[in-house]
Amino acid sequence: MDIDPQILIFVGSLTAIAMLAGLARWLGLGGKPTLKNEIDVRKATDEVESGFTPSHWSLSSKGESVLAADHAGRIMVIKRHGNQFAGRILTSASSVREEVDGLIVDSGESWFGKVRMTLTDASVWTDRINRL
Amino acid sequence: MPDFNPTQYAVPFFVIAVLVEMIWSRYRQPEAYEPMDTLVSLAFGLGSTVAGALFGGAAVYAFVTAYEYRLFDLGTQWWVVWWAWPLAFLLDDLKYYWVHRAGHRIRWMWAAHVNHHSSQHYNLSTALRQTWTGSFTFGLLFGIPLVLLGFHPVMLGIVGGFNLIYQFWIHTEAIDKMPRWFEAVMNTPSHHRVHHATNPRYLDRNYAGVFIIWDRMFGTFEQERDDEAIRYGIIKQLGSFNLLWSVFHEWAGMLTDCWRAPWKHKLSYLLREPGWSHDGSRDTSTSIRVRWQAQQDAKQVAHQNPIADTHEAA
Repeated sequence: MDIDPQILIFVGSLTAIAMLAGLARWLGLGGKPTLKNEIDVRKATDEVESGFTPSHWSLSSKGESVLAADHAGRIMVIKRHGNQFAGRILTSASSVREEVDGLIVDSGESWFGKVRMTLTDASVWTDRINRL
Repeated sequence: MPDFNPTQYAVPFFVIAVLVEMIWSRYRQPEAYEPMDTLVSLAFGLGSTVAGALFGGAAVYAFVTAYEYRLFDLGTQWWVVWWAWPLAFLLDDLKYYWVHRAGHRIRWMWAAHVNHHSSQHYNLSTALRQTWTGSFTFGLLFGIPLVLLGFHPVMLGIVGGFNLIYQFWIHTEAIDKMPRWFEAVMNTPSHHRVHHATNPRYLDRNYAGVFIIWDRMFGTFEQERDDEAIRYGIIKQLGSFNLLWSVFHEWAGMLTDCWRAPWKHKLSYLLREPGWSHDGSRDTSTSIRVRWQAQQDAKQVAHQNPIADTHEAA
């Protein structure tokens, strides 16, 4: 059976890509950074929106996400994405659901995904988000 | 006529270079790579070659047709005209500067080019993160003047290939600065890190391909600073490793905005800068930079005159 060389090149390239990504994992590249303190939170919020100055925030128990509010009443959710952080300012399209040990924040953007957080003051944030 | 595609020959070098950088990263900067991000970037690279083969025909047709109307004729054996090669390379790089600048300042073009910037990492795999949808923009129009001048489309394809190969090695944090004379003339890892940064200071700067002189000439140059850590990616980071969403997210956003906008604003959502909105509710790179600059100025005033920052009644 003759196989088109272009298909062979494509399959070969696909294999090489998988091997390189696998090698990155095998070498232990990446990592799982956490947000630990005020400095980390301020840095992360400023990265999501330049100039966002958090006045209140709550870190999830493992430091992989944070909810932050500024004086203007805006609320930002930040999650760990790979070994970086990504976030969104919540809007009226956002929603929140309380769980036993925390809450699940839905930014309203399906591709951004829901952020599950373990928080001690979950109900405070639920109220804030529901008021948006 | 030469039948030569330089990028094809460069692929093994690309793979080896990524491997070497990964090993460097393992010992010096493990966070420089992220396996899922690498997978997405490399899939972008492979997909872009497929997309180019499928949709690149229109650009080839346009160039070949335009060549029939050339102003100057280098002859039937144009490839032996030696001086035409460096001239074509230089002018193609100038063209690259402008098409790249348009790629950041016109949302329709940005919808395709954003793919190259959507990684939050900056490594050699990011260089291979190439668009799938370039054929659906009007970027090819920037190349037509060169064809009309008399440069054969194949010659432009070859010099464009070398241009792309040059740009591969500058996507790295492993190299700090090159010698001063080199930094003055050539695009370097340092200059291109600035280009991939989302720090307000660096937004929409350093569009160069090979020669940084274009940015210096046209007022878009910004020097990398040692006192400011660079953040990579896009203003609104994707927060997703979904390949198809990564490819098409800006197209989806642009077309949705266009659909929902009042008639008189529809075209603006295609042709104005990314982030522009008819009600001014969103941020553009310009508004972000202006806001950031105002904050920096306020901090400076507070630093120089502490009384001004006490908020106490006189």
